[in-house]
Amino acid sequence: MNEISAVRARGDQHRYRKAKSTFVAGLCILCGVLVVTPLALVFGYLVIQGASSVNLDFFTQLPKPTGEVGGGMANAIVGTFTLLALASLIGVPLGIFGAVYLAEYGNSRVNWWLRFSSDILNGVPSIIWGIVIYGIMVVPMKGYSAWAGGVALGCLMVPIILRTTEEVLLLVPQSYREAALALGIAKWKVISQIVIKTARKGIITALLLAFARVAGETAPLLFTALGNSFWNRNLSQPISALPLQIFSFATSAFDDYHRQAWAGALVLVSFVFLLNITVRFLTRKGA
Amino acid sequence: MPATHILHNFDNALEQLRNTALMMASLTERSLDNAMAGLFDRNSDRCNVAIADDEEIDILEKTVDKEGYEILIRFQPVASDFRHVIAAMKLSNNLERIGDAAVSIARRVKKLNAHPVLPEVKLLEPMYSETIAMLKDALRAFTDSDVELAMAIKPRDREVDAMNRRLANAFTDEMPKNPEQLRGYLNLIFIARSLERVGDHATNIAEDAIFAKSAQDIRHTHPAVPAKP
Amino acid sequence: MNSAQPATRPAQSNVMAVSPSPASPPVPAFEASKVCVWYGTKQALFEIDLTVRKREITAIIGPSGCGKSTFLRCLNRMHELVPSARMEGKITLFGEDLYGATVDPAIVRRRVGMVFQKSNPFPTMSIGENVIAGLRLNGIRDRAFLNEQMERSLRLAALWDEVKNELHRPGVSLSGGQQQRLCIARAVAMEPEVLLMDEPCSALDPMATAKIEELMQELKKNFTIVIVTHNMQQATRCSDQTAFFYMGKLIEMDSTAKIFSNPGQKQTEDYITGRFG
Repeated sequence: MNEISAVRARGDQHRYRKAKSTFVAGLCILCGVLVVTPLALVFGYLVIQGASSVNLDFFTQLPKPTGEVGGGMANAIVGTFTLLALASLIGVPLGIFGAVYLAEYGNSRVNWWLRFSSDILNGVPSIIWGIVIYGIMVVPMKGYSAWAGGVALGCLMVPIILRTTEEVLLLVPQSYREAALALGIAKWKVISQIVIKTARKGIITALLLAFARVAGETAPLLFTALGNSFWNRNLSQPISALPLQIFSFATSAFDDYHRQAWAGALVLVSFVFLLNITVRFLTRKGA
Repeated sequence: MPATHILHNFDNALEQLRNTALMMASLTERSLDNAMAGLFDRNSDRCNVAIADDEEIDILEKTVDKEGYEILIRFQPVASDFRHVIAAMKLSNNLERIGDAAVSIARRVKKLNAHPVLPEVKLLEPMYSETIAMLKDALRAFTDSDVELAMAIKPRDREVDAMNRRLANAFTDEMPKNPEQLRGYLNLIFIARSLERVGDHATNIAEDAIFAKSAQDIRHTHPAVPAKP
Repeated sequence: MNSAQPATRPAQSNVMAVSPSPASPPVPAFEASKVCVWYGTKQALFEIDLTVRKREITAIIGPSGCGKSTFLRCLNRMHELVPSARMEGKITLFGEDLYGATVDPAIVRRRVGMVFQKSNPFPTMSIGENVIAGLRLNGIRDRAFLNEQMERSLRLAALWDEVKNELHRPGVSLSGGQQQRLCIARAVAMEPEVLLMDEPCSALDPMATAKIEELMQELKKNFTIVIVTHNMQQATRCSDQTAFFYMGKLIEMDSTAKIFSNPGQKQTEDYITGRFG
């Protein structure tokens, strides 16, 4: 009791405590700023370097032959979207059905192994995927192709979509499943019509996050899609993609290519940024 | 019921109700005893005590009912708890009537005591002892939840009714032989009738005791008269 | 109170079942014999023998963990949702074995509807869609029929007048009591033979509770109702028969009036008077 009343009596300590409080708050703010700074710096630098080169040509023209000034990355942009679409053919079904299995079916032992494998795959460096698909697809097909690029990116997508979708499905309250089952609705219908519908916003964000992550992958594409200076007319042929093109241009000897690489980088980062903002918007409270 | 309620307030309230009812019972017995002692000993002071105590009996009746209502509202008792509360409230009603009968007897006794003694007063003694015994037994059956004891009371009441009829006839026969004491005999007849009423109420108490314990409602049925000892 | 048949009291057993007399009438809605349920190695129900009469409200009471919800879920095979759950014994619905080898649980659940403790209208559907969700997802496409059923069920659930102009609003925008009546409408739209209610009012205020209790009396005309409740006053107000469960066993079952005025078993009396539980 004495100690407590002693603490209460220590009125003159107030100013000291207040100063301590302010100091720590200041430290936190400083750390927060330090965290955001690199992002701001990177984006700012890209804007400085590349904004002037982002013009209509950039979005509509093919790259000019080496040395020539001008041209754009139209094929790379289209190629990125094409590869994302192809990747989705693998990533989305496997990811979502896998998540459905984990969340709705399965027993605890199988599920544990599934999740474990998925987490390991998530940690596999993307270049490994490139090499593996090279061996599985590029070599037998005797050539680089959009298909191979799509498959590589798809394999990368699966663990991301699977884990995030599973979490979202698990968030759907059990009471809805029970209510639906109690109406005599078959289990698969309960999952597709009730569970997935309820979780659809979460699933869409999971997909968007996967796209955002995968859109910027370069290493796997080096061994599978290879890159293309022209339009890709046949999916069994190599295809261009933004990261690939940026890599190729940035490591070249030509200033114009460098300029375009900056523009490409800015566009790519903006695209990823946009996807993330969309995710934030969709998951805002009260939406 | 050996175990106690989880809500100890419930137990306290039931205990309180029981105690109030028992207090009323002992007071009522005492009043009746005072009134009849006033008759047999020609002691009007005891009659005055009986008349005075009636006020407290009335207050206790209201108290029992009030405590009963509160238990019903607060605790919504069921099963045996419910039956006991209802039975306690009915007990208070019957006791109040017995109290009124005691007052009625006491008033008449005071009038009798103001006149020369009537030897026929002694005729009331057997009826009174049976009636008071019935009342005591009914109350004991109530407090001890003794169904057998309670069942035996109804036949005794028929005996008391018979006694009342005989006494009424006896007193009526005496009237022409002793016309100056006419009022006295009338008072005796009324006293006998009051005792008969006490017997009826004791029977009611017994019936309520049976209901409280076993949920059987034996009112208005006619059990056999037990063999005389 | 319907207590037409006298209770039989087997001397040894501590179970009281109300058995119909020989010349008896309708097939009971449910007849459970020697029902035992395990969750893994833990036994939750011990040899339950119980009869639920048609077009009556049967209440199941008992302290927490006594197995009443488990038993209720056996009546529409919902306990099977728990992977470790196992049942032995027989339950018949109007004479047909619910657990026969060829019986599809989904079909059982169309005949035996359920309303849960916390109301759970589907969040992605409007009020109207919620009511007919069961019908639609079971393959019924006829628009006219669906609309008719929607109105009929909402009227049965005493909700039509309150929502008839707002059927497009999301189901979750209703108040708690209205949501629960919506769930009841959803369940009765399937025209089940039996309605199971698992503590349907425990999350509701007294007024909403009273409305649902009134609703149950109306529903009783067409449906058999089994309700699990830990509110004994609700059991006394609403039900015709009451079953008292304790520690996985059926201790006593009889007409509600009898159970609450003069139960046969001491355990029942101790529980309902609040001496334990």
